[in-house]
Amino acid sequence: MDPTIIALAKAAGLDKALAEFPDDVQAAAEQALNNAGAVLVPTDPTVEPWPPMRAGLGL
Amino acid sequence: MTAPHWLSATEIAQAYAAKTLSPVELVNTLLARIEVLDPKLNAFIRLDAQAALQAAHQAESEISAGRSRGPLHGVPIGIKDIIDVVGLPTTAHSKILVDNIARADAVVIQKLRAAGAIILGKLSTHEFAIGGPSFDLPFPPARNPWNRDHHPGGSSSGSGAGLASGMFPLALGTDTGGSVRNPASACGIVGLKPTYGLVSRRGVFPLSFTLDHVGPMTRTVADNALLLDVIAGHDPADPGSAASSSRGFGALLGRGVRDLRIGFVRHFHERDMPAHPEVAAALEDVARVLQAEGAQVHTVTLPALTEFSGINRVILCSEAWSIHQKWLRERPGDYGKLARRRLLPGAFMTAGDYVGAQRRRGELIAAVEDLFRDYDILLCASSMDPSSRMDDAAETARTYPRQARSPFNVTGHPALAMMSGLSHAGLPMSVQFVGRYFDDATVLRVAAAYEKATGWHKKRPPIG
Repeated sequence: MDPTIIALAKAAGLDKALAEFPDDVQAAAEQALNNAGAVLVPTDPTVEPWPPMRAGLGL
Repeated sequence: MTAPHWLSATEIAQAYAAKTLSPVELVNTLLARIEVLDPKLNAFIRLDAQAALQAAHQAESEISAGRSRGPLHGVPIGIKDIIDVVGLPTTAHSKILVDNIARADAVVIQKLRAAGAIILGKLSTHEFAIGGPSFDLPFPPARNPWNRDHHPGGSSSGSGAGLASGMFPLALGTDTGGSVRNPASACGIVGLKPTYGLVSRRGVFPLSFTLDHVGPMTRTVADNALLLDVIAGHDPADPGSAASSSRGFGALLGRGVRDLRIGFVRHFHERDMPAHPEVAAALEDVARVLQAEGAQVHTVTLPALTEFSGINRVILCSEAWSIHQKWLRERPGDYGKLARRRLLPGAFMTAGDYVGAQRRRGELIAAVEDLFRDYDILLCASSMDPSSRMDDAAETARTYPRQARSPFNVTGHPALAMMSGLSHAGLPMSVQFVGRYFDDATVLRVAAAYEKATGWHKKRPPIG
């Protein structure tokens, strides 16, 4: 397995999953990369996340 | 005369009023049917026959005393097993929660009880509404009544299978990436993901906070509107709940589609994710039917389906990781393989991935809102393929993500999936209608017009 994936999995506390289900950990890492790569993140630095912070509403 | 197990909720209420049927008779009929069919279809995780009969007796005495609580009084309903029903386990179809007894009713269950509906029990789901269909869980997966060798869609799989096989006339499902509309598509029933925030999620096990919806699942559009009327409403304890007090979702059902402007998002199924030829042909037929009924149908364009899907997955996995990380670290072997594989990616998403997806989300919402300045409804594919065989894991893995439902979890617009015909193999195909925020009534109006023009809802699976 790619040592970067191993390092990220350990950093996420997934030692047990890494030992027992290494194929699942590898597949998950690859899927995360594919999904994130499909997103065209706005280049305009003023574009805010959705949903926005709205003070005084919801609680 | 229609057999009692195939009656819609609307017809059941009429039969009660005419005293040609009673709640106790109906529940006994359905329990007998469930006893025969459920071993073949696995729609139920937990049938609560005793409580259902008790509620039926109570409804019968109230109705006969002239104290009707409304159109769902004495009407049975099945509940997806991530929604809390007090005293029953909410297992989420998982070993992780197999002993998790609900201490209170979810808000939607409180509303159903107040309306006099009869809770039949808890229904199969994909594990935690994401991992399935799976054979390595504490309960078997639901099967498709149209062909038991095929999956019924998910994650509200028991809801779809039970409705399509006549086990109950109403069900609740949940929808984070399409989980009400997928079983509606695979089983040939009606599934609505309402506008985000219209229905309370309190008491529902979360998968992804900003994508989760509770939705009505039924065999007819009119029943869907009735069920939405009961479960919709503001909940101050649900942070995502909308202030809307919309009611009367069936008010427009008889109005037809004359002069409505419908945008047909063809590129979803023609270019972005080419659909099975029979599914594509059925979608063209839907457009022709609606035009013949008087609607104006024009081709429209949105950002690519793959980008909507990618954003849905980044947000879903990131939010789900924050819920499941402790169990995934300490008990990874207590998840089924599919849930483990679908939840673990959240561990590898960065903060930048998540916030980036949420920033792009606003732009995609704006793109859909732009279309709704010129169009009343969007028409597009739901599933790109009829359901696959359950024993063909590779084909299921290939076809499951081939869908156009997740865009409207990302945007929060109301979206309904229903049957658009049967494939040559005898499996349901589907269409999706999408509406403006809080205009769920117009979505139901178009669906009702299509249902009336085609009569697909009268088709029954070869299950007895």
